[in-house]
Amino acid sequence: METVFPLFTNGFIDNNLNLMLGLGIGIIFGFILERGGFGTSAHIAPVFYFRSLIVPKIMVTAIITAATLIFVGSLLGYIDYSQIFIPTTYLWPYLIGGMIFGLGMVMSGWCPGTAVVGIATLKIDAIFFALGLLVGMFFYFDIYEYIIDFANSGNLGKFTIDKLVGGDIRISYLITVAASLGLLLFVIAVKKVIDNKGEN
Amino acid sequence: MNKKRYWSPVTAGILLGIALFISFIVAGQGMGASGAFARSTAQIAYSVDPNFAQNAYAGKYLKHGNALLNWTVIEVVGIFIGGFISALIARRIKPEVTRGKGYSSGKRLFFAFLGGVIVAAATRLTRGCTSGQALDGAATFSVGAWIFMLAAFGAGFFFAFLFKKQWKGVE
Repeated sequence: METVFPLFTNGFIDNNLNLMLGLGIGIIFGFILERGGFGTSAHIAPVFYFRSLIVPKIMVTAIITAATLIFVGSLLGYIDYSQIFIPTTYLWPYLIGGMIFGLGMVMSGWCPGTAVVGIATLKIDAIFFALGLLVGMFFYFDIYEYIIDFANSGNLGKFTIDKLVGGDIRISYLITVAASLGLLLFVIAVKKVIDNKGEN
Repeated sequence: MNKKRYWSPVTAGILLGIALFISFIVAGQGMGASGAFARSTAQIAYSVDPNFAQNAYAGKYLKHGNALLNWTVIEVVGIFIGGFISALIARRIKPEVTRGKGYSSGKRLFFAFLGGVIVAAATRLTRGCTSGQALDGAATFSVGAWIFMLAAFGAGFFFAFLFKKQWKGVE
């Protein structure tokens, strides 16, 4: 059986067509994000107070759905998993940067993707967030040469779950599903405890 | 308000997962967002000062010509269009500053801006945001995605007490 996917990296579509299809894929993403409720910070910030679990529910369902399709497609030989872009894991920058990101997310009620939808629906706070993003990017460009060592520390390469625990894509898939569901059940349980206490 | 017109989280999640899959099997990459803001900033800085092409970080965006001729940038334009179409159909396009009851708009917009500054710098350290790092990475079995997700949401819960008033009653 011939591996045809991903179409672009396998040479079945050229760069221009890939870019055009990217616009269409983005339109689908934007439509779904807005329909899911990601077009307003009112649906994102309450997650951090356990008043709403919309964000973790959508994220976990999306991760499991996409992971299942990629896993099955790879097992059947339709998808060349090695050609799918997976960012290099940098342990320390991801840990520290992730925490900084979390602070900014609860402070603003946005992340870059949802803010694009927020701007499209005229949320003024999304517009200010996006202006902040531009300033923050510029700030990072300016300080990068001073933090270059930290920014590239803990380089683990293309570090997938099977490389951490041993085994192959099957173990990666099982752990991904288990971890996603486990995390979702955990936040649902925490929400129940908080709701019963009558806080909020 | 208009909650009936929103999809259930499971419906939205399944459709988002399928869209992510389509993106992966067509382009070889998933949803991205922060990269488009980084490239926009680089292109703006370059058009003001061409010497910016030598910048230690942003130089890589500028060496192949226009930093905006890039898959993620075009896909983010798509996200804007798709979000607009959906909201237009659902009649949800209206200027608004989402904030807690009695919380001042000025303070809210200040924190939205400052949060943006912080998030932007963080996404350069983490090579992506909730889309390009967390969702895409987790769906393709990357360990880094989980490090990022646990750190980001952990910190979000940890720092939430600082912004209680801003989000009071918001849901």
